[in-house]
Amino acid sequence: MTAYILNLLVLISVYAILATTLNFIIGYAGIFSLAHAVFFGIGGYTAALVAMNVSPEFFVAVPAAMAAAAVTSLLLALPALRVRGEYFVAASLGLQVLAVTLFSEWKSFTGGIGGVIGIPAVELFGFPVYKPWQFLVMALICLAIIIAITRTLVHTSFGRSLKAIRDSESAALASGKNITVIKTFSVVLSSALAAVAGALYAFYMSFINVESFMLDTSVMVMAMVIIGGTATIVGPLLGAALLMLMPSALTYLTFLPQTEIGSIQQIVYGLAMVLLMIFRPGGIVSSHPGGGK
Amino acid sequence: MSAEPVTARETANPAPGSGFTGSTDDQEVLLEINSLSKNFGGLQAISDVSLNLRAGIITTLVGPNGAGKTTLFNMITGHIQPSQGDVRWQGESLIGKAPWRIARKGIARTFQDLRLFTHMTVEENILTMMEPGSWLWQPGGKSRKARRYSKVSQIMDRTGLTAKRHTRALDLAYAERKFLSLARIMATDSRLWLLDEPASGLDPNSYNLFLQLLREEVKEGITVCIIEHNLDIVVNISDRIAFLDQGRLLADGEPETILNDPALAAIYFGER
Repeated sequence: MTAYILNLLVLISVYAILATTLNFIIGYAGIFSLAHAVFFGIGGYTAALVAMNVSPEFFVAVPAAMAAAAVTSLLLALPALRVRGEYFVAASLGLQVLAVTLFSEWKSFTGGIGGVIGIPAVELFGFPVYKPWQFLVMALICLAIIIAITRTLVHTSFGRSLKAIRDSESAALASGKNITVIKTFSVVLSSALAAVAGALYAFYMSFINVESFMLDTSVMVMAMVIIGGTATIVGPLLGAALLMLMPSALTYLTFLPQTEIGSIQQIVYGLAMVLLMIFRPGGIVSSHPGGGK
Repeated sequence: MSAEPVTARETANPAPGSGFTGSTDDQEVLLEINSLSKNFGGLQAISDVSLNLRAGIITTLVGPNGAGKTTLFNMITGHIQPSQGDVRWQGESLIGKAPWRIARKGIARTFQDLRLFTHMTVEENILTMMEPGSWLWQPGGKSRKARRYSKVSQIMDRTGLTAKRHTRALDLAYAERKFLSLARIMATDSRLWLLDEPASGLDPNSYNLFLQLLREEVKEGITVCIIEHNLDIVVNISDRIAFLDQGRLLADGEPETILNDPALAAIYFGER
């Protein structure tokens, strides 16, 4: 039972990092990306390859993963962020579809459908981290650092600029804000931090394949942010916990047909999203339940 | 509606205009609009408009709906690129420049639909206008930061928004939103303000405060160009009036001359 709970907590921490980094662009910059799983995947694959071929040291593999995700996101952001929000959603969806194909077909990098196996345990200053509780501590520290970074950023003039862009791009432009640079930086930072989650996931599972980085992962992370509460610190954490715990909770409801738990879970997600959008559009943790952020 | 020309004498304000005395023709030209045109497909929104905005006065753009007044603002601020012509700010062409670059040169604007940063507080709305650079930390350290906050407080005092400091723009009453729009522009160091119907829908007290604020700012050296439909406001604050109709500039001159022209009045009231 302890191992099961530890496993759940590690996964919640990893997805909480993803949700927190997606919230940074959705909640504060108003940029809706459907490609967050791509940067999760790039982080995972890069960290795995670096660990297998260069060094499993955390401070080598994770920065490499962040750099790879940052460069890829820059390639998406530079052209896509010049257009209005809804077009960015479409562009990010395109990237997600393209990336899944690449992850499946680029066998030398990703191992294709079979994925990458035998990823070594991550090392911290030469000490391997392989016990679940050690991994949980490492994941929680990463989560805390990422929360601290995003929280600090949104309280600076940079954060105010992000929120200004979210509320009115034309007014932000008229106030002298270079919105392309600000939005690009926010997407690059969010993607680089999402890659940390990918690296942790790869090291924890010691195996990754394309299944973990598909569109449904991007949608699930977006659901975590929206259900938990956009533009809040606690919202994405709560959203990640709820959505990760839900499958386990449903298995305890013995009157439900256990073979249909996956479908029931999708129905519950959908229903929860619809009800929240009607009654509490800011999410569970929103301080402005009438629709505020 | 009458087509009778409206004169300054008919208004309650004994001293119309911004308080500027003298000939506006003698004022320095801050912004030059030369033969500006804009087509939207087959629609000629602006046609060969040439106009000078002169320093230290209030110029009002008047004309019926669809005259091209807001389009002219959009072209000055770079939100729309003109099909032809030039806009020069203190001699430098603004054509092809991004709106944020034009804003940083000292041209600030408001929008008819306000476009406030709705989920930000009143204080944040004003403060963010003083931070065009958006660096993680603004230059100048604690003393500059203290000065910025002091200026924000001063602006909120003047616009009557102090009690709403921590209220989101979304939750303000209509007149308060109008004043927040003005407060945001007051926070910039811009020399030219382009105000798109800033006083529409204001109650008499708010309207008087608006006039007072505008006159004080012009006295401090701000140049203002206003789009306005309300003739009472036009008469009360204009030092100069430019009359647009169907994308063409029909007249540009002193208020007395423009407002006493029966032909312009007929166009304005839709009686031609």
